[in-house]
Amino acid sequence: MKNLLITSLAALAFSFNALAAPQVGQPAPDFTVVDTVGVEHSLADFAGKKVVLEWTNHECPFVVKHYSSDNMQDQQRMGRDDHDVVWLSVISSKPGAQGHVSPKQADELTTNRNAYPTAVLLDESGDMGRAYDARVTPHMYIINEAGVLQYMGGIDSNPSSNPADIPGATQYVVAALTEMAAGEPITDTMTRPYGCTIKY
Amino acid sequence: MLMRTSITALLILSCLGSEMLQAASSGLVQRDHLQAELVAEVDSVQPGTELRVGLRMVPDAGWHTYWKNPGDSGLATTIEWTLPEGVTASEIAWPYPDAIPFAHLINYGYDGEHLLPVTLSIPADLATDQSLRLEASADWLVCEEICIPGDATLELELPVSNQAPVADRNVAELFAWADARRPEAVDWPARFSTEGGQLSVQVESEAIGSARGWEFFSEDNNLVDHSVEPVLNAGKGQLFVAQALSPFVNRFPDALDFVLVERPNNQAYRLNAEAGALISTGAVASSGASSGASSAPQIGWLSALGLALLGGLLLNLMPCVFPVLSIKAISLVEGAGSDQRAHGLAYTAGVVLSFAALAAVLLGLRSAGEAIGWGFQLQSPWIVGLLIYVLFALGLSLSGLFDLGGGLMNTGQNLTEKSGLKGSFFTGVLACIVASPCTAPFMGAALGAAVLMAWPMAMSIFVALGLGLALPLLLLSFSPALARWLPRPGLWMDTFKQAMAFPLYLAVVWLVWVLARQTDANGLAAVLIGLVALAFTLWLVGKRDGGPVLSVARHISVFAGLVVAIAALAAAARFNAEQAQAADAWWEDYSATRLAELRADRDRAVFVNMTADWCLTCKVNEGVALNKDQVREAFDAESVVYMKGDWTRRDAAITDYLAEFGRNGVPLYVVYPRNGGDPRVLPQVLTPGLVVSAVESL
Repeated sequence: MKNLLITSLAALAFSFNALAAPQVGQPAPDFTVVDTVGVEHSLADFAGKKVVLEWTNHECPFVVKHYSSDNMQDQQRMGRDDHDVVWLSVISSKPGAQGHVSPKQADELTTNRNAYPTAVLLDESGDMGRAYDARVTPHMYIINEAGVLQYMGGIDSNPSSNPADIPGATQYVVAALTEMAAGEPITDTMTRPYGCTIKY
Repeated sequence: MLMRTSITALLILSCLGSEMLQAASSGLVQRDHLQAELVAEVDSVQPGTELRVGLRMVPDAGWHTYWKNPGDSGLATTIEWTLPEGVTASEIAWPYPDAIPFAHLINYGYDGEHLLPVTLSIPADLATDQSLRLEASADWLVCEEICIPGDATLELELPVSNQAPVADRNVAELFAWADARRPEAVDWPARFSTEGGQLSVQVESEAIGSARGWEFFSEDNNLVDHSVEPVLNAGKGQLFVAQALSPFVNRFPDALDFVLVERPNNQAYRLNAEAGALISTGAVASSGASSGASSAPQIGWLSALGLALLGGLLLNLMPCVFPVLSIKAISLVEGAGSDQRAHGLAYTAGVVLSFAALAAVLLGLRSAGEAIGWGFQLQSPWIVGLLIYVLFALGLSLSGLFDLGGGLMNTGQNLTEKSGLKGSFFTGVLACIVASPCTAPFMGAALGAAVLMAWPMAMSIFVALGLGLALPLLLLSFSPALARWLPRPGLWMDTFKQAMAFPLYLAVVWLVWVLARQTDANGLAAVLIGLVALAFTLWLVGKRDGGPVLSVARHISVFAGLVVAIAALAAAARFNAEQAQAADAWWEDYSATRLAELRADRDRAVFVNMTADWCLTCKVNEGVALNKDQVREAFDAESVVYMKGDWTRRDAAITDYLAEFGRNGVPLYVVYPRNGGDPRVLPQVLTPGLVVSAVESL
């Protein structure tokens, strides 16, 4: 009984700790992950640039909502072209799990959907996803030039799977990038992400 | 008559056809992994009443849809109504959900057929010559491992009639299911706080009885981390919930709706909590009770005396006492004559004086502010270690390893000698020593009462305990008639003695276990080495033969053995001291005397924390609130003395303290203001802000 209690205590403490891992205003967790063309990327490689991380799963209805409406592609273009960000789409589905794709499939998805990420990272081990405590797709993170986490959370403010809801919602990444460019503090630095659970 | 009704019904049915039969349902529609339909509880609508309808959902096996708060992921089912003029629909009366784990996440939803009921208000002027057409657009997310959004527009037409409607038996079971899961809306006072990285909720209601299995479901999706199981603590009339805040929480609500489900009877309640510091209205009730410990049920002096006597008697049967005293008893009756009485009295004097001495030490230390109760002697590893040695040595002696001699064991031959009286006296002392690790039934209550009494009365209780322990031997020595019942000493005594060694070894094992709780593995090993050294020494003592050279070697070895045994004990005690120092940082151990002293001091406020190692809530509170720097600083700034009572092991003083506040369990947090005013009880779930504000408001 006592052991059980200690275990639950430890579990509680662990949960608190695990959740405390990524924090806005703190250095973002480092990662080393291979992309679809076999190039290894680390956070350190992008020092001096803003980085946007987008956890994705092409079959997830919430991802589909933002790709079928071109909302995600528009944000990728705006981010890379207007704000000079490095946009990394991350797939953390483990091999065999739903949403897992081969490098070739991932590239085809990029082409077919007219997506515009800097690279698509294949986080098969899930290490990167867990380091960021990424929970759902889409789950968004913004890291500044100094490697400090600026935003984490949802893609927008309306948790629905209906593309018609997009125009009325606050697009958090767009808003944060705009505020960063203007040198203003970010209004929403942390929001609740909605979407499909990541299949680690 | 019955026949005619049936025929009429048949006629009506055949006329209206099958449309009528399906009227209470829109018919199931099939979507990906889910079937949905709109159903009504009854078969017709009566103007001016309420009509219950519902969205019936049948997910495929393994698939689920979501509650109002879907949890860590997912999406709540929504219904949008298109209704005739004047008809209004309520919100969904959400049946409470099941927690559905997925990987490291927790979702709230339904993984089987279910019904989301909605109540429609039907205007009184609804024309009865038409039917009522309802249209519901349902949106949902159905998930297994993957999720599929779905939607359906469902239509339902019901005849309008002034007749009382008839329940549709096809859906009765579904509505019954929803009703069983419908939380009863209650207006129990509830507050919540979001300080310290956790949501803390406090609920007060007479309906909350003893701690049973409660479950907590926040209706707010963005407040708590659903994957961290909430800690619930229900006591008499109060319930506390603590759950980690969501890592995504960005702004805090002013009010929180939540559902509590009481298991195993599955009674559910829906409550609304106001944001604000948790306070205890229980403090009002308890401050009255705390004005005097006299209000708590206590046993009187006389009954305590009786219990002590009885407890003392029973001590004779305890495994550490019985072996020693049974042999003493038999040896006592061996000799005849008036000397026996003298020996009985000497023995009784030894027992009673030892207990009185023990009581003097106990009461003296208590009045000096030490937090001790009966069993205090076992809190020192030195004393526990020495008792281990004594009992082990006695055991070895009984086993025949060596002869303890006529002195302590007093096995007969010197009974007739005058000096034997001294031996009897020390047997009494020994009886007290070997009895001290034991608590016999009835003793605890008597001693618990004694420590709260004035010293003469307390002393008398200890004396009664000693008398009880000495009584059997005293009676034997005074009554030859009783003594005749005892077997005559003889050769069988050797076997009996050897057998009696084993209860003593078991008592040693128990004490070693006690010591293990006070020291670490190193200290334990040290004491075990000490036992080996002791056994070696006693074995040498037992070897009386041999020449002078051997004799010198023997003496040296005996000395060395004793040194090792004592050094081992010192080592064990040191390990203990290191542990104690590490822990003894910024609080004082609870003691009623010390508390009374501090309360008399107008410059000092007191914070009392009654805790126990096995109390999860206590440890969580200490971790997230009491041990925080801001709390320490506030205590320092407000010159608050932090007192901590550890109820990990039974502690009569703490039990009594808890009883003063009408509690019989930990945690209990009480603040005493500086001016000697009434104490205030804090909630059982703490946050740093709550503690700081409680202390600052003193």
